[in-house]
Amino acid sequence: MLTAGATLFLIFAGGLVTSTGSGLAVPDWPLSYGMLMPPMVGGIFFEHGHRLIAATVGFLTLVLALWTARTERRAGVRRLAWSALGVVIAQGVLGGLTVLFLLPTSVSVSHACLAQTFFCLTIALAYATSREWLAVAPLEIDGAGVSNAATFATGVVFVQLLLGALMRHLHAGLAIPDFPLAFGRLVPHFESPGVVIHFSHRVGAVVVLLAVVRLVLSALRSGLRPLRRTATAALVLVLLQVGLGASTVLSVRAVLPTTLHVATGAALLGACFFAMLRARRLLSPVPGAPEPAAMVRAAA
Amino acid sequence: MVINPIARVLAGTLTLVLAACGGSQPTAPPPTQAPAAPAAAPGAPASAGSGSVTGKISFEGSAPAAEKVKLSADPKCAAMHKEGLERQAIKVTDGGLADVLVYVKSGAQGTEVPAEPALLDQKGCDYSPHMLVLVAGQKLKIRNSDDTLHNIHPRPKDNQEFNIGQPRQGMESEKSFDKPEILIPVGCDVHPWMRAYIAVLSNPYFSVTGEDGNFTIKGLPPGEYEIEAVHGKLGKDKAAAARITVKAGEAAKLDLTLRG
Repeated sequence: MLTAGATLFLIFAGGLVTSTGSGLAVPDWPLSYGMLMPPMVGGIFFEHGHRLIAATVGFLTLVLALWTARTERRAGVRRLAWSALGVVIAQGVLGGLTVLFLLPTSVSVSHACLAQTFFCLTIALAYATSREWLAVAPLEIDGAGVSNAATFATGVVFVQLLLGALMRHLHAGLAIPDFPLAFGRLVPHFESPGVVIHFSHRVGAVVVLLAVVRLVLSALRSGLRPLRRTATAALVLVLLQVGLGASTVLSVRAVLPTTLHVATGAALLGACFFAMLRARRLLSPVPGAPEPAAMVRAAA
Repeated sequence: MVINPIARVLAGTLTLVLAACGGSQPTAPPPTQAPAAPAAAPGAPASAGSGSVTGKISFEGSAPAAEKVKLSADPKCAAMHKEGLERQAIKVTDGGLADVLVYVKSGAQGTEVPAEPALLDQKGCDYSPHMLVLVAGQKLKIRNSDDTLHNIHPRPKDNQEFNIGQPRQGMESEKSFDKPEILIPVGCDVHPWMRAYIAVLSNPYFSVTGEDGNFTIKGLPPGEYEIEAVHGKLGKDKAAAARITVKAGEAAKLDLTLRG
């Protein structure tokens, strides 16, 4: 839980780096101006601060992997923890490469996407070691509907985050300067790649909203309180996210709404992913299927 | 296996990431030091003539008001400007526009490269000058005169981009640009208000207007030239140009107007 929380904060700090245009305020890596701790002034505060938080998350993940290797009896969970460590190391290297190669779009976007993936890994680890996972037996309710809805929502949100990262790193955030219309029209003239990416992100927002509404309806039908809560949280986040997206455009990319838009996107992905895990854990995919909890006991 | 649902989900997610985020765009090569400038005779161009072009660059339109810079992000910068610092991107005095590059766009013979490096100084958390002019291949010396750190990050389109740090006062670095390129924005990502422009020319015949908008291009051999005036903030789209004939020993008069 601590690592997952720290990761969400790290994503917020990463968003601050790009929102403030500080991505290259520290031109070297892994050191900063040849130092471990440069003066935290101007853009260095954001870029080096991001590096410090990332180092903390890396350390937490290392502790988590070692702790899991020592105490966890399920091989799958141990593999998951080591995977998280591998991903956080890869993420650090990508962060370094994007600085050394002067923010190439492919590396910067990969850095953004891998951050979201690592966040999902930490959520999976937290859930796999939670009391709910270990104690609860799946109900004999067909969970395929809500599970599919959550999986679809997670996939759609991830694609939307990819589009958002592309828009951010191609500086297309204001390619369409008005909201809710686009150049005063429902559909703009696609005169530049920036307009195409920006408009795709807006269309993606509608698809995400519909996917999350479907998830909420499925969760309500399941009658299961934890799922209803998670799905409702996702709906609140998606509504907040739309508002933040509009604020980003209307405020001409002011730092706070722009950065919160990044962090809320990650939180939304996390909520959908968590809903998917919960649906698969709490509800039986097919009525009469073996209970995962029983399988845990058998494996132990 | 209990963890199977998670493992399946994660495998799918990772596959999606690798497929979606691997990026097909080739990564840029690492920044490298550009080749050193070729040796050249010091002082005026070897083919210097006795003609000149002189005049004034005027501005028509509404210049934006000066912006007050927020220096609080770096206490050392704030201490250098106790009265505050204002940034005026378009400086107009009596109709004359400052910091305009006026250069021979076409008609110049010879491409002598000055042996002396051109200096871009970081002083008082600002650049000096705001419009720096180089000949392609000429050395660019970058100095940090401040007791705080700066990074120097030009964003050229035709030349090699670089980003270097100068954490200590008095540090100097040398770079060069190989290809002519008008208006390369250069900035410090630590102090985002620091902005300047570098112009890389193919010939050494240029001038930058003073506060009053006046300029003089000296040392021109007789001939017909196309002269262009371009301002960093206004950009190349709003440049003004004219053809002019220069005679030996005479100063040809040329006034141009840039519109905002």
